[in-house]
Amino acid sequence: MRQIKTSYTRRNFLRTSGVAAVALSFGGNSAFGAESLNVYNWDTYIGDRTLADFSESTGIEVQYDLYANLEEMFAKFQAGNPGYDVIVPSDYMLETMIAADMLEELDKSRLPNFKHVDPNFLNPSFDPDCKYNIPYFWGSVGLGYRKSKLGNVDSWGALFDNPDMAGRMAMLADSRFVMGVALLYLGFSANTTNPDEINAARDLLIATKKNLKGFVPDSGQDMLISGDIDLVMEWNGDILKVMEEDDDLTYVIPKEGTVIWIDGLSIPKGAPNIDNAYKFLNFIHEPKVKAEIANTIHYATTNASAKEFINPDDLANPAIYASDEVVAKSQALSDVGDSLKLYDAAWTEIQAS
Amino acid sequence: MENWRNNKIAFFILSMPPTAWLMIFFTLPLAIMWVYSFADRGPQGQIELAINFDNYIRAVEWIHLGIIWKSIWTAAIATAITFAIGFPLAMGIAFAPPQWKNPLLLMVILPFWTNLLIRTYAWIAVLRTRGFLNFGLEWVHDKINAFFALFGLTDVLGQFEALELLYSHNAVVIGLVYVYLPFLVLPIYATLEKLDKSYLEASLDLGAGHWRTLFSITFPLALPGIISGCLLAFILSMGTFLTPDLLGGTDSEMIGNLIARQFTSSRDWPFGSALSFLLLYFTFIVLWVRATMSDRNSGPVK
Amino acid sequence: MSRRRLNVNPLDYSRKLWMRCAMGFTFFFLYFPIVALIIFSFNDSKRNITWRGFTLKYYEKAFNNNQLHEAFANSLLIAGISTLTATVLGAMLGLALYRFRFPMQGPYEGIVHLPIVIPEICLAVAMVAFFATVEVPLGLVTITVSHIAFSIPFVAVVVRARMAGFNRALEEASADLGASQWQTFWNITFPYMKPGIVAGALLAFTLSLDDFVITFFTSGPGSTTFPIKIYSMVRFSVTPEVNAASTVLIVITLALTTLALWVQSKSQRNESNA
Repeated sequence: MRQIKTSYTRRNFLRTSGVAAVALSFGGNSAFGAESLNVYNWDTYIGDRTLADFSESTGIEVQYDLYANLEEMFAKFQAGNPGYDVIVPSDYMLETMIAADMLEELDKSRLPNFKHVDPNFLNPSFDPDCKYNIPYFWGSVGLGYRKSKLGNVDSWGALFDNPDMAGRMAMLADSRFVMGVALLYLGFSANTTNPDEINAARDLLIATKKNLKGFVPDSGQDMLISGDIDLVMEWNGDILKVMEEDDDLTYVIPKEGTVIWIDGLSIPKGAPNIDNAYKFLNFIHEPKVKAEIANTIHYATTNASAKEFINPDDLANPAIYASDEVVAKSQALSDVGDSLKLYDAAWTEIQAS
Repeated sequence: MENWRNNKIAFFILSMPPTAWLMIFFTLPLAIMWVYSFADRGPQGQIELAINFDNYIRAVEWIHLGIIWKSIWTAAIATAITFAIGFPLAMGIAFAPPQWKNPLLLMVILPFWTNLLIRTYAWIAVLRTRGFLNFGLEWVHDKINAFFALFGLTDVLGQFEALELLYSHNAVVIGLVYVYLPFLVLPIYATLEKLDKSYLEASLDLGAGHWRTLFSITFPLALPGIISGCLLAFILSMGTFLTPDLLGGTDSEMIGNLIARQFTSSRDWPFGSALSFLLLYFTFIVLWVRATMSDRNSGPVK
Repeated sequence: MSRRRLNVNPLDYSRKLWMRCAMGFTFFFLYFPIVALIIFSFNDSKRNITWRGFTLKYYEKAFNNNQLHEAFANSLLIAGISTLTATVLGAMLGLALYRFRFPMQGPYEGIVHLPIVIPEICLAVAMVAFFATVEVPLGLVTITVSHIAFSIPFVAVVVRARMAGFNRALEEASADLGASQWQTFWNITFPYMKPGIVAGALLAFTLSLDDFVITFFTSGPGSTTFPIKIYSMVRFSVTPEVNAASTVLIVITLALTTLALWVQSKSQRNESNA
């Protein structure tokens, strides 16, 4: 019965593709074969060969499932772990899941490759000493823009205080990141719980809104490359992809600093295959494996030893690896607890005004 | 209508299986959400069971009512346009030769078997400032200019100005019409098909024009389908969140977005449930009124 | 009234120019974005934005992507089973609502129509909370069960709207002629219901095939569907690979349905000849 599980070896594509095979597995997939592992992650957020190599070297079959949104993943786990062994939450979500007692504390003695983690990432505010996660990749939000139209941009002011570009700019549709950037621009913490500061950021965004074409979810880079807009607050990875196709586009993290995200690999409570999960976490942090993933997805790795295997162009690219100076001024989001209600109310007002 | 007592066996055979399914797999889960709507939100978004009405009080704050009102308006406009486009289509299919009916029906539904997200992205490619629609318009514009240039008139239409369609309320309405068209067309088609055509014949024979026949005979006869179709399109448009998210501008947020956010980034399930139930109570009343009204009407007509 | 007249004039609206123009416009509206989607599946760029030349490489990629195939197979399986079940249950419900008067009818109708009204995400969270409470493991079964639940009212609404034009005298005549209730249903009522059932089934299939929110929440390990796959890809960009896969899906459905219709019309012709 083993072959009806999804496996990532290319050889058995014919076997797994049949509807009949899936029909057989209709009763639920988890029971077959002792050596299996259920990974829950974004699509295309892993190397092309990673899962196949893992299966080859350990004999463990990987079932790789996808989520589209961290919040939805969390909402699902709130009703109980549906059977996953490895998940990939980001900073503030890690903090939330730790507080909600959803994650296993990691036994570092079972993760020899933990030593490869870049010391800069070893003690994040959201999970001191990385008790519950191994940092996976990190990135930032920043400004993507058209050089021929804007020259050199180095401040968030280009977005918040630039009526000349009215109708030629857009922002992400992610409330915490947008509010966080507005707070940083005003000189506050991106994780403030002070209502006055939150309201100040709200007022700034309401004032900025009239110059924006929209708050766009994951399509700002498309608007940029097609010429609909010239400046957008976006994820670095998205801007990077359009930079490859259009030399006139570039990415900058403004001097005020920005909100960065750090994804970590974690084991959720109730994981059915904990031993295999440890093997997987350790395998991923093998420098060569990690470098292979980084070279596929072009995000910044947290693995110091992997850097020697990473494409030098990527290492030199400011849209992937930001300078230490910029990173020092940046913040990761943390769980703001009850104050999330204030953020929600502010965001509703921004949208409705 | 027949009293259920006259034919208890048929009544139970027909109504029990679907009722049981809906009771177990819909009403029970919903009851959980109803309980949640009176709960408190824990610091990480946990549910802390309680009995308070704070969530409902918050739900009827002006800003939320404003969003609900905007959603009703948007959905109403979208439904009206959907009807204007969908009714002729339904009629065309219903009156088509029999061998064409099913192929036409399939042609209506086929675009909807591609993923909604992909379709919406395709609309973005069509509507954007430098999208297909504007390219098409520019081409026509240039041809007209070139045509007049033959007569020595230069620049009759002036410089081409691209339409700014995307990221606006109009784009949301276009998107909604597109997404919910089949939900309006199919019920109307189902009633129009096999509509007793002798009534229409009689009307035409007695000298009424096609428009008059349409308004005084076809519409009333197809009314159950029209009402069902419009209700489906309206209700679905009102609860949508993907379309305003992707096609809307900076002020296109609808009630669906607000609710979806409570269950995701704001992690406030109790408030999200309260908003959802507010929407439910509202629709429940509309459906109830409609049921009692059709109950009264259905007696003596036939 | 001659049969011929009924079929040709003057009610043959589909032959009228204005009707053809209206339908032509609507089909243009329906297919314009689909054509855009198909064109971009041949685009030699990672993004669906600007044209960079013709390529077939995304078709090759889609054909070699097991995960995509598995997601497709899952989606079709779920949609098939849920459409079948929801159509039967929904048609029964629609017929019951059309035919019977019973106590508490108003509230009952309100309740059975709620799945249409309730915001998807609220129902999704309700489902996952419910399945967790009754300790049913999440997977293809829970997805299918949920799809059936939210599809039933759509089928019921369409079937009921269809039945509104039914002449009950036909049923009575059949009973008077000595037919049993079942015979009457099968020979009189059911054939009349059929277009409503077909329309309802099409809606149910569409709803199930394209549902993301409820599917996501009720899915477990190994039950990734096509919409989940696509929504998950979006964070790191929608590539033309998805367009290619969608195009293949359109072509396959088109071919299958054309074949089915051809077989059907052929067998009908044989029947009428016999």
